Amino acid sequence: MSSCCEPPAFEPPAGPQVPGKFRTVALIGPPNSGKSTLFNRLTGLRQKVANYPGVTVEQRMGVMAGVGRDDLTLIDLPGIYSLTPYSEDARVAVEVLAGTMHGTPKPDAVLLVLDSQHLTRQLMLAAPILATGLPTLVLLNMTDLMEQRGGKVDSLQLARELSAPVAQISAVHGTGLNAINLFLNQPGNGTGSHPSLTLPVIGNAASAHTWAAQVSRRTGYRAPLSVEGTQKIDSVLLHRIWGPLLFLAVVIGVFEVVFSIGQPLSDGFGDILARMGDIVRPLLPIGWLQSLVLDGVWKGISSVLVFLPQILLLFLFIGILEDSGYLARAALIADRVMRTIGLNGKAFIPLLSAYACAVPAIMATRTIENKRDRLATILVTPFMTCSARLPVYLLLIAAFIPNTVYLHGILGLRTIVMLGLYVAGFVAAFTTARILKSSILKSSETPFILELPQYRMPTLQSLALRVIDRGRIFMKNAGTVIVGVTMALWVLAHLPVIHTATGTLAAPELASSVIGRLGHFIEPVIAPLGFNWKIGIGLLSSVLAREVMVSTMGTLYGADPSTQALSLQTALHHDMTLGGALALMIFFAFAMQCTSTMAVVKRETNSWKWPIVQFIYMLVLAYGAAFVVNHVTMALLG
Amino acid sequence: MGFWRAILYQSNICNPDGFGRILNYDQTGRVFGQAPIRRHVGARKVNVLSELSVGQSAVLVALDLPETVQNHLMHMGFVPDAEVTAVRRAPAGDPTVYSIDGLEIALRHETADAIRIRPVQSGSTRLETIENMELAEVAR
Repeated sequence: MSSCCEPPAFEPPAGPQVPGKFRTVALIGPPNSGKSTLFNRLTGLRQKVANYPGVTVEQRMGVMAGVGRDDLTLIDLPGIYSLTPYSEDARVAVEVLAGTMHGTPKPDAVLLVLDSQHLTRQLMLAAPILATGLPTLVLLNMTDLMEQRGGKVDSLQLARELSAPVAQISAVHGTGLNAINLFLNQPGNGTGSHPSLTLPVIGNAASAHTWAAQVSRRTGYRAPLSVEGTQKIDSVLLHRIWGPLLFLAVVIGVFEVVFSIGQPLSDGFGDILARMGDIVRPLLPIGWLQSLVLDGVWKGISSVLVFLPQILLLFLFIGILEDSGYLARAALIADRVMRTIGLNGKAFIPLLSAYACAVPAIMATRTIENKRDRLATILVTPFMTCSARLPVYLLLIAAFIPNTVYLHGILGLRTIVMLGLYVAGFVAAFTTARILKSSILKSSETPFILELPQYRMPTLQSLALRVIDRGRIFMKNAGTVIVGVTMALWVLAHLPVIHTATGTLAAPELASSVIGRLGHFIEPVIAPLGFNWKIGIGLLSSVLAREVMVSTMGTLYGADPSTQALSLQTALHHDMTLGGALALMIFFAFAMQCTSTMAVVKRETNSWKWPIVQFIYMLVLAYGAAFVVNHVTMALLG
Repeated sequence: MGFWRAILYQSNICNPDGFGRILNYDQTGRVFGQAPIRRHVGARKVNVLSELSVGQSAVLVALDLPETVQNHLMHMGFVPDAEVTAVRRAPAGDPTVYSIDGLEIALRHETADAIRIRPVQSGSTRLETIENMELAEVAR
């Protein structure tokens, strides 16, 4: 979806600067220790949280409205293991902490978030952080979980050892957060030093570990018993045979559900949308306004909105995979395949999240340590089937693929075609990565080091929030980009105004309107693919965002008197061949029609070179593949 | 044994690009495989992490990896004297999941090959441990 994932611009709270009081506070901690959960608690914002290391890859600022003072800026940062950055996301955290990150104020206090279930190891980060001299509050997160499992720590003793205040909290349940309030409002804070602390030499991991082990021993830390649950689940999910089979079953299951449950939902939703249009129709005067609002804009928007239920279902599944901790296991299973193309399993996490949207996926490549691996992953990510392609696929499949079922109704032909399109994107991504990694982006292998989080039951609340947020983004998109495009299309479809024989003004025939002429102008280029001029206009407008294709079709067929009364599916069915429809789907699988993705690739690679190369490469591939598919289908059908 | 170890240790420190596979070679430039320390045929010797079978535990001795990688791994808990357990292998047989400090971390075979280990045995130095193992072998 276009503009789906850029964080909103942040305005730091305006207020008088009180000397000796904090203005900017940073959240620092190892990966997956719960910083973003705490950030959301304290600011009331909805930064993405999930159960795998490396969810947060850039700084995010918010006003501390939840607990604390509302004149404070809180910065959420990517997780780090030490102050020696190992990957791009860690570099962001270290730069923000040092105050060298452009556009982000230097923090004047630190909330160090540590997962109390692995305190000994997590304390290794405390030494370099405390050595920065910034006032620090140490937050032992997930203490409720630790205590449930028989763990124990003397936080007073820990505070004495570290010469820094320590608080036990649970970011998920919001307990113990008043300590943050106290720390931030403490008079005279920000001037104190840490006199008695003997810190290990920074950068030396072994001495940091020895120090951390000593501290945790002196504070009577007892690690919680490791949970049997994770081991048991893994013995099935990572099983030699069952593991990959279950992985496949889950993927197929997701698509089956998107069709078998999602399709009726979408159809019902489509009926409601159509009825809403009918209710409004008598209220508008007959004439150009009614035509613009109903046949232009409403037809366009509703043709995309129809797919909302199915897209939300897909996001529900992605949410379950990410929150449970399975994503890291998928990366582990995929490592073997990834190594054959010269990448490692870590690159699989961004590729999987690209099923939702390529924009955050390209951001997520920051966790890949090797620069060339990272660039290769960025370049192939847009091949993964993002959710914006879904409306196009769903529309064309519903219009052209018969609803045949095989294996006693377990597997539908529509599901197979859908899966085939996902596989096509996947294969294109892998082949391209392989080519890149064995030519221009060749590099020595980087070790694959992946931390596997413990499984967690996804909470209904967090899943609901994800789905609601996604729905809101989709609606917002429909309300802005799609309204704009459909209005422009409607206007172009009704120009130039002609004088009829009776002397009144009227719209021209669709084919002789501005849009019709533009369409016919480009038709020779796309005719070999089996596309008519309307599809051509759709392809042009879908460069803004892929789902605009569907709304454009809705508007164009709605503006044409001969197809006005038909549903979009029927109209398409009469206007295209099966070969053209299959070619169109393949075209969408390969082409990079997304300005947001191009913008984020430009930002992450720091030049226009790569997005332009990527756009041309994908366009050529899409055109070639569509050409082949169209001609092969024509030949097969005689 | 010590000789090979010394070579193994020296050979990968000056790795120019910071990343990369570890090649072990002697003075004449002969390149060995990844694990040149395996000795007598039939002797059950576990010297590097990759040889640890699933369910077994061992104590870390040293990491023979490029500095950036070594530093990163050490911050994840792979420090000398830490106890490590091989938990399970990925369905394809590689990578392997290791448990260290109550945490599960997956490593590929070639990375685990560069991490030296010794058997779990409290109160004995590495040399003693190796001698003990050899004695046990003789006794058998």
